[in-house]
Amino acid sequence: MSSSGTPSSESPPPTVTQPEPTEAPASPATVIANHKKKDLSKVIVRFRAIGNAPILKQNIFKITATNKFMAVIQFLRKELNYQQSDPLFLYVNSAFSPAPDEIVNNLYKCFNTDGKLIVNYCTSPAWG
Amino acid sequence: MSEHIHDSADQLPFNPVARVIWDGSIPIHFILDKAESAGSEKEPLLIEAPRCSYLSRLTNQVCRHFQDRRLRSSNDDSEMWYEYEGVPLKWHYPIGLLYDIHGMQTAAQRGTTDSLLPWKVIVHFKDYPTNKLIKTSAPENSQDFFMSMIKEADYLRNGSTKKVMNMSKSDQSHLWEGLWSKNYDLFWSMNQKLVLNDGILARHLPIRIYLPDNCPVIQDLVCPMDEDDQPKTLRHILNAVLPDLFPLDDRNGSPVAEVIIHGIKPNMDMSVLWAAQNMAYPDNFLHLVIVVGGVQ
Repeated sequence: MSSSGTPSSESPPPTVTQPEPTEAPASPATVIANHKKKDLSKVIVRFRAIGNAPILKQNIFKITATNKFMAVIQFLRKELNYQQSDPLFLYVNSAFSPAPDEIVNNLYKCFNTDGKLIVNYCTSPAWG
Repeated sequence: MSEHIHDSADQLPFNPVARVIWDGSIPIHFILDKAESAGSEKEPLLIEAPRCSYLSRLTNQVCRHFQDRRLRSSNDDSEMWYEYEGVPLKWHYPIGLLYDIHGMQTAAQRGTTDSLLPWKVIVHFKDYPTNKLIKTSAPENSQDFFMSMIKEADYLRNGSTKKVMNMSKSDQSHLWEGLWSKNYDLFWSMNQKLVLNDGILARHLPIRIYLPDNCPVIQDLVCPMDEDDQPKTLRHILNAVLPDLFPLDDRNGSPVAEVIIHGIKPNMDMSVLWAAQNMAYPDNFLHLVIVVGGVQ
């Protein structure tokens, strides 16, 4: 009779979570430092003129991924020889205008088309 | 105008979560910068500021209060900016997000538990930090930036901005007017079409993640469902982006990091789709502020 209780006590240990032996997780300080690191990898940006905006002869460029979108705006202004006062409006995918402090890499990851971030530009506001 | 508002309000299902988020506020003490106040000790201005709104909405009131000072400088509101503990505050971030990042996140990192309220924000009328803040001249810019966020969010959900662009101009402006005038019904009568996506499952969810120490903002494609068509949870998506800070199994020991949305620590097993629909800021983004304890 007493034997009836034994099988259950010998039941295998629960195997619900079996985390593989991995390295100890990085500390928050390390994670933060890694995210702040200046990464020099680049992404491909393709500029497309709209309306009467001047067309660039060369319209595909590599831009540092960790840059802010501001860098894209300034780069394009330089390519076009535009003064700070000349009106210029930039859009991603003919759809929305990113804030100058958005990270190029984020825009690339979320909105690239076939490995290129399409940036449309024009001299008067388009798309609302 | 009010009739129209009530028409649409009648069809608004009551959403208690959206409502309390909308009503959330932070008492802010606006203090004129010491160097700029030179002699004239003006009383700080206390404002109960809506979390979902923007600092630019308060600029008129703040300018009026510090008018003496303002007249002696440029007399140009576009030169005005705000700062907390030496850090310029981005005028295109919602107030609640600014507080969660610069107040709560920083305090947690230092290990301080003292109340930060009322939040002490320094007001400047000169030396605009153009290298740190986007320069603007008018509240219209706030509206443009806000609408751009709404469109970016729509693009993430649908792969286009058709839903926003198909709204009439006046419907589009109801979003901003509703937010600006603190009119919940006006805002949500338009906003629910966007965040609920007319019942169509979003391709991706508009989410931004903020690490401490002025880290670059993290934004990536986040699908609402996993491979088994189950709703992803906050834990899942944070684990995917920050596996070291958010292990899938955190039952052993206390978590090294936590997330704050609208000043609260949400349940990590919450569906992220639900969170994006109900806890997004008016700009349609779910802003996740990561806090890590002082001890590392």
